[in-house]
Amino acid sequence: MSTQKNITVALAGNPNAGKSSLFNALTGAHQRVGNFPGVTIEKHEGYLDYKNYRITVVDLPGTYSLTPYSPEEIVTRRFIIDEKPDVVVNVVEGTNLERNLMLTVQLMEMEVDLLVALNMMDEVEEKGISIDLDQLEQLFGSHIVPISARNRKGLDDLLDHVISVSEGRIEIRKNKITFSPEVEKAIDKIAALLSHERELGAGANYRWLAIKLLENDREAYTEVQKYPVWVKIELALQEAIKECERLHSTDPEALITEDRHAFVHGAMQECVRKPKATRASVSDYIDAVVLNRVLGLPVFFLVVWAIFQLTFTLGKPLMLALEFVFDLLSKSVAPLLPEGMVRSIFVDGVISGVGSVVVFLPNIVLLFMGLSFLEASGYMARAAFVIDKVMHRFGLHGKSFIPMITGFGCSIPAIMATRTMKSRSDRLATIMTIPFMSCGAKLPVYVLLAGAFFPPAMAANVMFGIYLLGIVVGLWTARLLKSTVLKSDSEPFVMELPPYRWPTFSSVIFQARMKAVMYLKKAGTLILGAVILIWVASNFPRSQALDTELANGKARIEASSVAPELKAEQLQKLEARIEARQLEYSIAGRSGKLLEPLIRPLGFDWRIGISLVTGLAAKEVVVSTLGTIFSIGQTTDNTSLSAILRSDPAFSKATALSLMVFVLLYIPCVAAVGVMKKEVGAWKPVLFYSAYVLAVAWVASFITYRLALLWM
Amino acid sequence: MKLSELKAGERGQVTAVASEPVIRRRLMDLGLVRGTELEVLRFAPLGDPIEISCKGLLLTLRRNEAEGIAVDKLEVVESRQASWASLLRGHRFGKSA
Ligand SMILES: Nc1nc2c(ncn2[C@@H]2O[C@H](COP(=O)(O)OP(=O)(O)OP(=O)(O)O)[C@@H](O)[C@H]2O)c(=O)[nH]1
Ligand SMILES: [Mg+2]
Repeated sequence: MSTQKNITVALAGNPNAGKSSLFNALTGAHQRVGNFPGVTIEKHEGYLDYKNYRITVVDLPGTYSLTPYSPEEIVTRRFIIDEKPDVVVNVVEGTNLERNLMLTVQLMEMEVDLLVALNMMDEVEEKGISIDLDQLEQLFGSHIVPISARNRKGLDDLLDHVISVSEGRIEIRKNKITFSPEVEKAIDKIAALLSHERELGAGANYRWLAIKLLENDREAYTEVQKYPVWVKIELALQEAIKECERLHSTDPEALITEDRHAFVHGAMQECVRKPKATRASVSDYIDAVVLNRVLGLPVFFLVVWAIFQLTFTLGKPLMLALEFVFDLLSKSVAPLLPEGMVRSIFVDGVISGVGSVVVFLPNIVLLFMGLSFLEASGYMARAAFVIDKVMHRFGLHGKSFIPMITGFGCSIPAIMATRTMKSRSDRLATIMTIPFMSCGAKLPVYVLLAGAFFPPAMAANVMFGIYLLGIVVGLWTARLLKSTVLKSDSEPFVMELPPYRWPTFSSVIFQARMKAVMYLKKAGTLILGAVILIWVASNFPRSQALDTELANGKARIEASSVAPELKAEQLQKLEARIEARQLEYSIAGRSGKLLEPLIRPLGFDWRIGISLVTGLAAKEVVVSTLGTIFSIGQTTDNTSLSAILRSDPAFSKATALSLMVFVLLYIPCVAAVGVMKKEVGAWKPVLFYSAYVLAVAWVASFITYRLALLWM
Repeated sequence: MKLSELKAGERGQVTAVASEPVIRRRLMDLGLVRGTELEVLRFAPLGDPIEISCKGLLLTLRRNEAEGIAVDKLEVVESRQASWASLLRGHRFGKSA
């Protein structure tokens, strides 16, 4: 055989069952994996070549049932129905079979070509659980393949089964579970009515549709309501509701779920033997501390504080080392380049601009490592539990906490992560708080300013204070929104707490490396581009008058009869003075001057104003712009940006604080605004929001600046 | 009685789930149907939400959601609660004896 055959495989399963881990193991992709429900929110495709087959694998968001409610859960159902994958692999958590098999039953009802991947076999073995696979296969009618996605075990076996199923070499018996007689009667009746509706198409699965109608499934309703047969179906549904109420004192929806539970429970009794467990596990003991009524909140704050402390304290020496390297670089490169434009663009532009951003690499990597440890350990869902009441007071939700923590890394995935929330108003309110959760890109600004103007012991606290301010303003914004425009029902908080898991060493290292590469890429592309633009904007146009003034001045100094050292010093001063005036004459200078009246009350001069505008591209650009603009016309040979800022008369402690507050609060970067628009669905609220944050930032910086002037 | 009236460490069996439709659906998907046995493990530091254990899983839900779940109180035979007393008595972590 020379031609490859194509197979499409969909990975479906409960949240946190390990679908993305399996996807990554199969395709070599790097989808996000985390130990809490609701990590994946969009479908992702990847492929692999295996034994002459091209297997396309689709990772889907986790779902507890096929009558889904939150936007990301609907993705799974739509994909299975509309795209009709060749094989559906149902990933189930071996240690949590009873709940996971509930979805398996529902997939059986859909009569898809189903294969069950029994994941986390390593944990199953460790816990001494024994599962009778043959018997389970008998009951469910589809093959069950034990795997361990994390340890890459059983993958080939799974792929062989996928091929066999797609070629029809394995028979999927499509067992049906039998519901209570009243339900069965109603199903038969409705299915018969549906089968008479010719427009519904011959391929439709009437039994399944009937079950969904009985389950009050909104999508099924809208599908069937279009047809005239609906009138009769509605009567049949009402009759079923009456019957169930009379005989079981409940409704069909609950009865169907109960029947499924009974089926799964029976299967568990027959096939799964758990050791007579000692009563509590390690997880339970950790929880006894972490979720403790007294210790819970202190532990929560300690964890968050520890991450920041780690980021700053551990990052500091590494940052200084990088700064040293860049300093050395610019000093050794400068003499090699011809004096003038070329030297200026390399030394003032590329090295100062990009270098000023790259030095923060260690801090960024540490921050992300801390966050990914939180995600992988299983603490995230617990933190949501501990903090829910506080969040609820502000009109938010414990679950809002997960996107908010993600927001400390980057707003974009955080805004997308809100898709796990069902209530639209809660979701919007959470989206609007995320930009206040200071993202990793703003970190360089704080490290720079706090490091330059505060003693080391204070610097970390100043930064912690900035983060706290962000949280407070964010919560306050949420409350404002919820009590005005977003009044409505709130989100349910029913949630599962996953067992604690150790993040694997390799995954932590891998994550760190990936973040480092991404950061450097950003520095090498977006930030480098911005730096060059800014260099051009702040060097052109050049004033002829100033050039002649410089020439004249030089001639005068050369001609004077002072000592050579003094001459050199005078020359340097003159050059710096003229450079500074050239800067004011340039495009950047002139537009900055236009802006200045607006930001003067905050303690910012026009150079800071320019940095804030360019910072809309990406927040690191604030630092690189400061690096470029402030190194123009610099007299000292020290190229460390913090030293330059300290020596500049435009900067003081008060300015530094005010600037940190402004950067914390003002409009997020363009990419984040774009994602926000996509998730909110319209420009108007986003623009309104941007105006709001700008106003908040202005007022908060103003207050900070004035108070700092009074006290410092 | 209601699930929200159970105290930490008490057990119950679900007799009816009557919350608002969306929440009810989610509760049932997670295994809280009639007949399910559960144990209230603890309350969050500020008294809400509640953590329960059922079918070997840990679930959390808010008090107002727990109000919709009717339960019969059961005798406590075996508790999942980790207690320091049992640790001191030489409790073996996780593994079967
Ligand atoms: N011990 C063990 N852990 C695993 C295995 N597979 C996945 N995990 C862990 O299970 C957790 C969830 O994995 P994910 O791949 O993110 O789960 P998911 O199904 O994609 O979750 P959602 O995207 O939230 O639906 C992570 O902490 C994984 O490290 C396995 O085979 N063994
Ligand atoms: Mg996933």
